[in-house]
Amino acid sequence: MRLDHENWSPEMVAEFKRRQRGRNWALLGILAGFCVLIYAVAVVKLHEYGQMW
Amino acid sequence: MSDTVFVNSAELGTTAADWLALLKPRVMSLVVYTGAIGLVIAPVHMNPVLALTAILCIAIGAGAAGAINMWYERDIDALMKRTARRPVAAGRIEPGAALMFGVVLAIGSVLLMAVVANWLAAAVLALSIGFYVFIYTIWLKRLTPQNIVIGGAAGAFPAVIGWAAATGNITALPLLLFAIAFFWTPPHFWSLSLYACEDYERAGVPMLPVVKGALHTRICVAVYTLILVLVSLTPYWLGLTGRIYGVAALGLGAAFLYYSWGVLRDKQDAAGISLTGDVPARAAFKYSLLYLFLLFGACAVDRLV
Repeated sequence: MRLDHENWSPEMVAEFKRRQRGRNWALLGILAGFCVLIYAVAVVKLHEYGQMW
Repeated sequence: MSDTVFVNSAELGTTAADWLALLKPRVMSLVVYTGAIGLVIAPVHMNPVLALTAILCIAIGAGAAGAINMWYERDIDALMKRTARRPVAAGRIEPGAALMFGVVLAIGSVLLMAVVANWLAAAVLALSIGFYVFIYTIWLKRLTPQNIVIGGAAGAFPAVIGWAAATGNITALPLLLFAIAFFWTPPHFWSLSLYACEDYERAGVPMLPVVKGALHTRICVAVYTLILVLVSLTPYWLGLTGRIYGVAALGLGAAFLYYSWGVLRDKQDAAGISLTGDVPARAAFKYSLLYLFLLFGACAVDRLV
């Protein structure tokens, strides 16, 4: 039978939370990487156009 | 009555690995490599940060095209052993989510390419994504056995994109690298399709062995390999590369011809069906990957030395 999340076994809840945590960490890593990338590109571009240093 | 709960894997949520699989990382690795070679052989120095970002854009663009491809082909992917475990076909990712993921990444990669490199590179990247999605996936793949011949152009663009990102223009050498990757695709995929023929037949995909038979496919593998070898020597004949590339193209091409000859001469029945479990076709498929890797590598070495 199909039941909602309230009827999941502890193992299912643990697996659900493990996957959710994995996605969240991956997303955090991607966002942090993207911020660093944009910062680095901005620094290089500003340097190339002589507006920095 | 038992309180057993039946929950499929998708209901437990997707994993980060599912989203990564949506980007076809194995295909992406080849695209990244050829794109990086296009960038390295360009006669213009590009800042390493911008160069790496441009390569990242090529990777994300290719991944986005792969995600949209998986969204569109989820019905036939589910019917083929080779692709049934893909995240959309297996029901681990909602089709709409996969499409949105692909579209957002495609737009993002093109815009980022325009910012870090130039609009020409961004336009060619957009063209390659559009070609793969609209021309190959949606139009040709289910229509004609020539699907991978014409559709192969989509996978041939990265070297041109890399070159355009560095130089802002497109000259003969990147176009020849495009031609090499273009003529490499048919013998590569037809070797695979010889031993995955049942899969394609089940899914109704008109790959060459399904429509024209295995014997015709074996002949086409040999003919296209010969064309590929001739095209691969053109950069040397035109003086665009040196001896290192010329020798590599000749040696690697001779080996590819040897493998394609093996495919043609494989023990087979009257219809061309292999009696050896398609051992030569499997070997040719594996070698084709090595061939492209080494040939493009030789081109980079030749230009840098």
